Amino acid sequence: MIKKIFDWYFDVHNYIVTFFFAYRTNMFSWVMGITFGFAMSKAGATTYDYHAKMFLMIDPQLLIVIVTSVSVSVVGVFLMKKYKIKAIATGEQVDFVKKPYQKGLIAGAFLFGTGWGMTASCPGTIPAMLGEGKIAGFFALIGILIGTLAYGTLKSYLIMERRYGKKELLHKNCDDGDCG
Amino acid sequence: MNILVLEAWIAGIILGSFVLTHFWLIGKPAGCSTGYGNLCGMLTSRIEYFQTGDYATKNNPKLWFLIGIPLGGLFSALSSPEPWHFSFSMGMYDEILPQTYAGKAIWIMFGGALLGFGARLAGACTTGHALVGGAMLNPASLLAGAVFFGSAFITTQLLFNS
Repeated sequence: MIKKIFDWYFDVHNYIVTFFFAYRTNMFSWVMGITFGFAMSKAGATTYDYHAKMFLMIDPQLLIVIVTSVSVSVVGVFLMKKYKIKAIATGEQVDFVKKPYQKGLIAGAFLFGTGWGMTASCPGTIPAMLGEGKIAGFFALIGILIGTLAYGTLKSYLIMERRYGKKELLHKNCDDGDCG
Repeated sequence: MNILVLEAWIAGIILGSFVLTHFWLIGKPAGCSTGYGNLCGMLTSRIEYFQTGDYATKNNPKLWFLIGIPLGGLFSALSSPEPWHFSFSMGMYDEILPQTYAGKAIWIMFGGALLGFGARLAGACTTGHALVGGAMLNPASLLAGAVFFGSAFITTQLLFNS
C-alpha cells in the first residue's frame, strides 16, 4: 500500500519535472513576457501621452528610458560576449544573432513609424495595454493582425511566383489547394 | 487607467536588465512583432508564409513571450492607485483623433495595420530593433530605429501642429 503511494508520488513528481524540463524555454519566455509587460507599463510606454510628449518635445521620459536601457545593455552584451556566458535554457553560448538588413527595411520602418505616431503604441506595448483595460489596445491588436496577415499573403504570393513563374501562376488551377 | 510611472532612468535600467536577462535565460534576442506571425499562422493555415521558415513551429518561446505581456500590464495596473477599469480614453490624442468611438476604432485599427505590416517589412519592431538591436549595436537596427523615430516624429508633429 505505502509502496504504491510512493510510486504514485514519484510518477507525478517525475511527470512535473519532465514537463518543466521539456517546456522550460517556453516558460522562461512567458515569465520574461510578464516582466517585459510590467517594465514597459511602469516606464510609461503604455501611457499615450508620453508618446505625444516625446515627439512634441515636451517631456523626454521615453527617450531617457530608451537611451538608459540601450546604454546598460550595450555594456552588458559586451561583458556577456567577453566572458562567453552560457544560456540557462540551452546550456549553449548565448546567440547574439543580429537582424540582417533586408529589402524594404527603410520603407517598412517608415510605415511602422507612421503607425506609431497614429496609435501611440507599438507591438510590444499593445498586449500590455490589453492587460490595463485599454480598449484602444484591442483595436490596435486587430490592426496588427490584419497588417501581419497582409504581409504574409503578399510574401506567400511572391514565394509562389518565384516557384511557378508569373504566367503559370495566373493560369494555375487553384482547386487543388496549392495556391496558399 | 493612469499608471504610476517610475523615474525614466530607473525604468531604463530595468528594461536594459530585462534585455540582458532575456539573453542569459533563453540565449536568443527578445522580440515582440514576430509572435504576431505565430498568431496569424494559428488563425489560418492557408497562408504559406506563416507555415514555413521561422513559423514552422508555432508553439514557441516567441508566442509565450507575447502571451505573458498582458499579465505584466495587469500587474502594473493593479499596483497603481487607480482601481482597474476599462477605458477608451487616449489622453492628448482624444482632441485630435476622430470624435466618435467608431471613428477612433477605425483610426486605431488602420494605424495598427501599418504597425503590423511595417514591422514585418522592416524585420522587427521597436523592441527588436531599437532596444535589442541597439544593445548589439547592429547597424541595420540602428538605421531602422532612426527611421522609426523620424517617421513617428513627423506624423505626431503633423497630427498636433497643423
